[in-house]
Amino acid sequence: MSQNDTRAYLASARAWLAEQAPAYSGAARRGLSVEEDLALGRRWLHLKSEHGYAAITMPKIYGGGGGTEIEKVIFTNEENNYDLPTGYFGISLGMPVPMLLKYASEEVLRELVPPAIRGEQIWCQLFSEPAAGSDLAALTMRATPDGDGWRLNGQKLWTSWAQYSDWGVVVVRTDPTVPKHAGLTYFYVDMKSPGVEVRVIPKLAGESEINEVFFNDVFVPDAQRMGGVGGGFKVAMETLMIERYAVSDEAVGGISVEKFVDLAMRTRINGQPALADGEVRRLIADTVAERQGLRSIHRRAMAAIAAGTEPGPEGAIRKLLGARRRQQVSAVAMDLLGVDGVIMTEGAQPTEDFTESWIESPPLRIAGGSDEILRNTIAEKVLGLPQDHRPDKGIPFNKLS
Amino acid sequence: MGDNQEALAMITDQAGRLLEDAVTPQRLKSLLQKPGSFDRDLWLQTVGLGWAGAAVPEEAGGFGLGWEVLCALAGHLGAVTASLPLIQNTVLVDALAQADCGYSAVIEQLVSGEAIATLALFDQGDNGISDTPQLVYGSSGLNGVTAVAPFAAVAGFALVHALREDQSQPALLLVALDQKGVKRDLRNCIDNARGAAALDFANATATPVAVGDGASSLLMRVAARAVIATAFEQVGGAGSCLQSACDYARERKVFGQPIGAFQGIKHKLADIYADIEIARGCALDALAALESNPRAALAYAAAARVTAITAYEHAARENIQVHGGIGVTWESAEHHYYRRSRSLALELGAAPYWRDVLVDHVELLAEGY
Ligand SMILES: Cc1cc2nc3c(=O)[nH]c(=O)nc-3n(C[C@H](O)[C@H](O)[C@H](O)COP(=O)(O)OP(=O)(O)OC[C@H]3O[C@@H](n4cnc5c(N)ncnc54)[C@H](O)[C@@H]3O)c2cc1C
Repeated sequence: MSQNDTRAYLASARAWLAEQAPAYSGAARRGLSVEEDLALGRRWLHLKSEHGYAAITMPKIYGGGGGTEIEKVIFTNEENNYDLPTGYFGISLGMPVPMLLKYASEEVLRELVPPAIRGEQIWCQLFSEPAAGSDLAALTMRATPDGDGWRLNGQKLWTSWAQYSDWGVVVVRTDPTVPKHAGLTYFYVDMKSPGVEVRVIPKLAGESEINEVFFNDVFVPDAQRMGGVGGGFKVAMETLMIERYAVSDEAVGGISVEKFVDLAMRTRINGQPALADGEVRRLIADTVAERQGLRSIHRRAMAAIAAGTEPGPEGAIRKLLGARRRQQVSAVAMDLLGVDGVIMTEGAQPTEDFTESWIESPPLRIAGGSDEILRNTIAEKVLGLPQDHRPDKGIPFNKLS
Repeated sequence: MGDNQEALAMITDQAGRLLEDAVTPQRLKSLLQKPGSFDRDLWLQTVGLGWAGAAVPEEAGGFGLGWEVLCALAGHLGAVTASLPLIQNTVLVDALAQADCGYSAVIEQLVSGEAIATLALFDQGDNGISDTPQLVYGSSGLNGVTAVAPFAAVAGFALVHALREDQSQPALLLVALDQKGVKRDLRNCIDNARGAAALDFANATATPVAVGDGASSLLMRVAARAVIATAFEQVGGAGSCLQSACDYARERKVFGQPIGAFQGIKHKLADIYADIEIARGCALDALAALESNPRAALAYAAAARVTAITAYEHAARENIQVHGGIGVTWESAEHHYYRRSRSLALELGAAPYWRDVLVDHVELLAEGY
């Protein structure tokens, strides 16, 4: 895509968003129940699909935009400037549905992809279990052959948006007699199947997207298998990496540094303007400088994508730095707000409210790869350092203590 | 062991056991769910054991076990995230005794625990102690709104910082809260178990405890003492977080081994340990300074405050992290500490303010090795 093309695309996306997004974001969301907000989100996705802005890189025949990766990145960047109800569909359209495009038949795609792109249906990702989070391959949920399909038994945990999901992708153990990575298989499953039970898990604060999902003799046709029997771990890893470049907003869903600066301008510390305080200045400087570095990384990644090459590995630091930064900046913002910083405002969004931004930050450091796992990944995959000692390597799963 | 030491050991032993049994996670969660919550049953139970007057000098009707017992009890409360107004009651009694102008009836109620005190020393928007209070005390009484203050939802008496109109000077006022001119504004807070409320005064009756320079020095005495005892509460909470994180790190297996075997976890926990020990050291020194070096108590208190804030927040935040997904659920107890650590970090003025105080008084800590 030429520079002129990207500029033109950006201009029209920006204009379209300026016209359409306000009716679906910010004030339009205030005071809505989760159900109402989700309904608004579905309408927003539907509208986008009519204008080629939903699932931008997916084929038009399924309701996608038929566009390029760089267009998707440009549009998402702009869309993130509005506080839109898109969170419900992030996983659905980010991972399971793109995986379907790789693995499912034409017939299945025509049936299942368009409703997902229009927001009529939601897909979830059923990977983690009570004893398998960072260590996904330790999962124990079983699938046993039954006629032309499989019976699923066991429990998934932390499944985001399962309570609203119509479909899910799931990794299960089909062979416990081989080492842990080798005995897994990957399926897509109808969440309305008999035997599926979803229970919401309240979070420490805020509306909860996380669930536990119980499978009690749930039948899945073998036709819904994605990848080979025993090849599930590979497909799971592919899922986690299918988003070539995930565009996250700069403040990781919390308050922006501009809002923090604004607060520092109107508060005082020991009688002096907070903005004159050395420590406050250092935090602002560090935060802005870090963001600048991340912006450069992001821009270079966009250029690489536009040129059809791979972005560098440095993008991996974004989530690690961003989530911790949000927690830290929000806490200092509360310090500046003072004693009344403890007050929680009904219906406040973490993008606008410092206290909300702080209290909802811990899950970000765990979901989608914890801080520690991200550091390990950088050390091992980027820096080429040796892997930790793995005492369970090569041992059949059912022989592990 | 002297009599005092024995009594102190007895009361703190008993405190540890009692709180362990009485303060269940379920009880704490129910308190967190409603603005201005207060565990009155626990309060009555501990009042029955004499906790409210444990630190108060005998001549004021207490057991005379000194600030040491208050700090020890605060540590136990902190360890289980129980919220009782022990610090508030004791500090208010001390302030009234300092002023020495016949508050014996109020003191008696505070020592017996019949009445609860709140230190409502901050204006809305304050993150530290201000020289220029916004509340006004004049011929029509006390007017204005305070920031949220712990236990203000249930307190009988408040210590309030206000401008005395006729003399254009700050004053510390004692306000009986069960009167027509006082409204308690209960707000939903990150830690509803603190019994917090903002106090809204409209022509309220109040009594000056100290005015002008006297008010400023008494205010800093009150703040220093509250800060020091709270530092023990914070260190207690931080210690529980570290213990919980270590327990989980020993037990949770990932990649075929306990997560505590990974240096990423080990180093994290060792760093928290170092923070806690620094905070404990500062708190102990500050407590000792109340007797041995009262002139420098504020500086010691500031050091105790900033290190206790750091240690507790570090421990509470990373304890959640070590617990992974389990740590971010409502059901887990880890967020009780996360909430409490932030609440205590704000209640008596935030870290940026106390760092400033520490630096302003740094020469007072130059000697004393
Ligand atoms: C809000 C939220 C949404 C989620 N959504 C989904 C979803 O939609 N689908 C899904 O399948 N899962 C989901 N998850 C699960 C998430 O992927 C796991 O929580 C995560 O992988 C961590 O696993 P765990 O909770 O079992 O913690 P553990 O893996 O038990 O980790 C515990 C602690 O040990 C640390 N640790 C682990 N290994 C190492 C190591 N080698 N070195 C150093 N430290 C280590 C971790 O960092 C953590 O601090 C979600 C989680 C959250 C919080």
